[in-house]
Amino acid sequence: MTSPRTVSRSELIRDVIGLLARLGLAAVWLISGIIKAVDPRTTVVAVRAYQIFPESLVGIIAGILPFLEIALGVLLVIGLATRLTAVLSAVVLVAFIAGVISAAARGLSIDCGCFGGGGDVAAGQTAYTEEILRDLGFLTLAVYLILRPDTPLSVDRWVRRRTGQPA
Amino acid sequence: MAGSVEGKHSVAQSNNRRTPSGKSGATSKGVQPKAGQPKSPQPTTPQPKPAAAKGSPAVKKPAAGRQSVAAARRSSSGNNRTQLIIGAIAVVVIIAIIIFGLVLNKKETAVQGEGYGASTQSVATVANGVVTVAKPGATPGKTIDVFEDALCPICSEFERQFGQQMNQAVDQGDLAVNYHMLNFLNPRSFSGDYSTRAAAALLCVAEEGGTQPGLYLNYHSALFSTDNQPAEGGSADLTNEQLAELATTTGAPTSAASCITAGTNIAAATAAADASSAALQAATGRIATPTVLYNGAPVSTTVDWLSTLLGQ
Repeated sequence: MTSPRTVSRSELIRDVIGLLARLGLAAVWLISGIIKAVDPRTTVVAVRAYQIFPESLVGIIAGILPFLEIALGVLLVIGLATRLTAVLSAVVLVAFIAGVISAAARGLSIDCGCFGGGGDVAAGQTAYTEEILRDLGFLTLAVYLILRPDTPLSVDRWVRRRTGQPA
Repeated sequence: MAGSVEGKHSVAQSNNRRTPSGKSGATSKGVQPKAGQPKSPQPTTPQPKPAAAKGSPAVKKPAAGRQSVAAARRSSSGNNRTQLIIGAIAVVVIIAIIIFGLVLNKKETAVQGEGYGASTQSVATVANGVVTVAKPGATPGKTIDVFEDALCPICSEFERQFGQQMNQAVDQGDLAVNYHMLNFLNPRSFSGDYSTRAAAALLCVAEEGGTQPGLYLNYHSALFSTDNQPAEGGSADLTNEQLAELATTTGAPTSAASCITAGTNIAAATAAADASSAALQAATGRIATPTVLYNGAPVSTTVDWLSTLLGQ
């Protein structure tokens, strides 16, 4: 910013979009991760409801997942290794979408448990389409950050400048 | 992506911009260098081994090339190292948070009263379809109301985690429990009325065998164990005959078994579920199970809720 170059309008817009995408995805991970982390019993049930993993893995996955989400959220908030974090985010989101599609295809009627909850829903109360569309929206943010990981107010950009890059 | 073709300055910038993250991606995903280096004039160093990043040459070049693009290019390999280090830090952060989480999770979900096993002293009495479990002759210091649905998987988790601790507290005469069996999950059961039938079966066991020490609590535990509890939306659940058989296996008298098989308490269980639902709705504003009330107020069932309640 201190260099005399002119900041083009498109760069400015890109910065704003990048920042919003990064913080937006960070918010998604932090909120969903914290909700899951504070209610481990529900998270176990939500994971089990997909009927994908054997019982021995259900507890482990339910233990890891909330904190993986929180970790991704923290890294995105500070903008550390944004592209790596965005790649991991996309992988996790694709897995979520696959899980919901698989649940729908097998005729299970479950809540995705994406933002806590999960398990119990009355028959006909499923919302698979909405859940998948929502995850696709989050996936769009992740893909955007994979393509353009450089965003303002990030450790990544700060480090690059500190290490002598004329950005 | 106008950046890469806008001009000299932009090219360098775009280059700087992409290289690092491409690298950080590469640490885990093996992204090919070309993904990050579209028009770069200088050759990209293929990813050095992460071990190589351990040395600190990357940090040697701070301030070096601030002014010129050329200098920036010279520092390119150092920059790649920097990005590897950043990626490694990110991975370490993720692992650290997950390990922290697993430790915390293990603590939060640890079985309480592990090793105590089944209740041996408790007896059950029925009033208005609500079953009260306590040690005979004792005056328990605390009485709680527990709201459950036989099909509720989280109730199963709750039973797994706290069942033994509650058995122990009841057996020691410290705790009395009022069990309210709801049936709002009926539509999620294969038969469409499993929750009600299981609640009726529990009533049969309480009425016919409630004086038998431990029997009601043991049957209750058996119904909620993952071995027996039917899945929501599953392709089967337990018939009345199977519920009766499970009662017999647990030690219930034949009168209890025939009460279950005949569905004698279906109406009573339905009425009790309606009344308990209304009470739960009034106390918490919603119907969710498992819910524990103490003096009419909901108790947050964190890992130490019962020991806190009992003042242990």
